[in-house]
Amino acid sequence: MSKPELWVIAERRLDHIEPTTQQLITKARDLAGNSFKTVVILLEATADHLEDELTPYGPDEIRVVRDDRFPTATDAEHADALQQLVETYHPNGILFGATITGRSIAPRLQAKLQTGLTADALGLRYDGETLIAVKPSYGDNIMCEITIPERRPQMVTVRPNTFVAEEAAGTAEVTTTTVTFHPVDRLQVTAATPVVNTATTVGDASRVVALGRGAASAAMVNHATQLAEKLGGRIGVSRPLTDQDRFTHDDQIGQSGNTIHPELIINFGISGAVQFLVGMQDAKTIVAVNSDPDAPIFDVADYGYVGDAQTFMTALLAQFN
Amino acid sequence: MKIVVCIKQVPETNNVKIDPVTHNLDRRGLAGVMNPFDKNAVELALNLKDTTGAEVALLTMGPDDYAESVREGMAMGADSGYLLSDRAFAGADTLATGYVIAQALKKIGDADLILFGRQAVDADTGQVGPIVAEFLNQPQITYAASLRMSGPNEVTAERLLEDTKQTLVAQLPAVVSVRSELNTPRYPTPRNIQLSFEKPLTVWHHDDLDLDDTRLGQSGSPTVVTKVYAPEPVKRELTPLTGTPSEAASQLIKALKEHQLI
Ligand SMILES: Cc1cc2nc3c(=O)[nH]c(=O)nc-3n(C[C@H](O)[C@H](O)[C@H](O)COP(=O)(O)OP(=O)(O)OC[C@H]3O[C@@H](n4cnc5c(N)ncnc54)[C@H](O)[C@@H]3O)c2cc1C
Ligand SMILES: Nc1ncnc2c1ncn2[C@@H]1O[C@H](COP(=O)(O)O)[C@@H](O)[C@H]1O
Repeated sequence: MSKPELWVIAERRLDHIEPTTQQLITKARDLAGNSFKTVVILLEATADHLEDELTPYGPDEIRVVRDDRFPTATDAEHADALQQLVETYHPNGILFGATITGRSIAPRLQAKLQTGLTADALGLRYDGETLIAVKPSYGDNIMCEITIPERRPQMVTVRPNTFVAEEAAGTAEVTTTTVTFHPVDRLQVTAATPVVNTATTVGDASRVVALGRGAASAAMVNHATQLAEKLGGRIGVSRPLTDQDRFTHDDQIGQSGNTIHPELIINFGISGAVQFLVGMQDAKTIVAVNSDPDAPIFDVADYGYVGDAQTFMTALLAQFN
Repeated sequence: MKIVVCIKQVPETNNVKIDPVTHNLDRRGLAGVMNPFDKNAVELALNLKDTTGAEVALLTMGPDDYAESVREGMAMGADSGYLLSDRAFAGADTLATGYVIAQALKKIGDADLILFGRQAVDADTGQVGPIVAEFLNQPQITYAASLRMSGPNEVTAERLLEDTKQTLVAQLPAVVSVRSELNTPRYPTPRNIQLSFEKPLTVWHHDDLDLDDTRLGQSGSPTVVTKVYAPEPVKRELTPLTGTPSEAASQLIKALKEHQLI
């Protein structure tokens, strides 16, 4: 008997693949072991070759469906195409990125298939053929393990940047298949424009200087900018600092901001609330500077300095110069 | 025009604890309030009411005390409310919840616009809106960042994807879920609070709706919660940086060099 399929639904972002797709391929390979076949589902226009951005990550198969209407298709049209594929191939599991797109299409597909969908998972593992998804709730204060014991496919949306994409050996078989495109008349995407200034976000930086409420002064921000430059990194902030004009949600680390995996993060004046920690606790090296010796940030830090953030920052910058 | 806003009642704080003995959520002492994200949907509806004279109804599925959130929404200015309450609905996941809400919307009948919050803060899924849209076979605009009437029977909305801004035009009826940045919800006025007690709140039980019993409650829910626990940050062994700030800074620089970080 052939192996049951574990699917990753590829997501497009303008003319490229959205990075969560590659992260999910790496995770799917890891979950699949020798028991499942990893298949990426890619809906693209006839002239597109987005599969080239997927092959290096080594799924077993990339199954491409081409139609010039896909790049601007609505959620309902995507869900309809995916339903046809599910009914042909009967996958065991389907992973979507918990992006706005993924979180909009997946529940419509779920409703068509009358199966279960776990939202925004932070962890995944198989127990036999049962996929166990770890899902935060109550603002990441509680973790739940959720399964879909009886129905198939088992559907999950996975939080972006939860897993790290890794290129893998092995040659993905690229196949093509077809579906019938059923246009929905009552909804049109009339424009799609790139939002500027997202070329580098805190999520891409390998070194991060993170500022919290205890390091929010203009002088501190100025010094942190210098330190970030010297490290070749970027500033990130905890949520309270997004109230400053200088920072936006794109700079925020944490549950409702960016999940990051830098080589180094130096946290100044951040207490270490669980909603912040979930966004950065996978960093390779964690440094914390806080005047409160009992701040929870020290529990997850490799190096810690108890004292005033500004004073330490000044001393650190002096020695860099 | 008729607008139905779907609202949920949630525990007033996210600081829920786990009972160390039973491993269940300990919700003792937590009052219920309207899901904060749903207030943005109510506000959008009231805005359309102010500008176009739309009629605004609220719809919730849950235990009888969810009526409090419906009253709260009526005190903000909504005209009427529906509460779907029955033991048979208990334990529903998003699929079973979406089913009952969709069946109730079919009975209400003539909603032009069905609004949802971006997600409920207890479950954090944001799935119920798209599920209802699918069951009603209606177009959807999720995470709307702005919305306006652009014709007698048409809305235009913007949606911010991770790095793209989409403009969407929908012919009504349609389902919309809103981003919280869309607006600032109004507070109830004393007069509206008083009025809210005279506004009609319709309670529908199991037998009032056309329902397939296999799709209800826990048994109609494909997902099962098998374990609940508090997240434990992965603790690391802390090396303290000690002495004067300057001494501590040089210890850090030495360590960063050892790790080839600088
Ligand atoms: C649903 C939900 C989602 C959330 N999502 C996020 C998220 O994505 N990201 C996020 O960051 N937060 C998030 N939060 C908020 C989170 O719970 C915390 O409130 C927030 O992280 C606190 O930020 P902070 O550590 O900067 O501030 P505080 O908790 O106020 O901590 C400031 C710290 O600075 C220290 N300090 C003060 N003065 C000095 C000084 N001179 N020198 C050195 N140290 C000093 C203090 O000892 C303290 O530890 C979320 C909350 C909820 C409910
Ligand atoms: N029990 C419910 N009754 C009415 N509306 C609900 C209910 N649960 C969820 N909703 C709506 O669906 C949205 C998304 O909820 P959720 O999918 O649970 O995160 C909420 O913001 C509400 O608008």
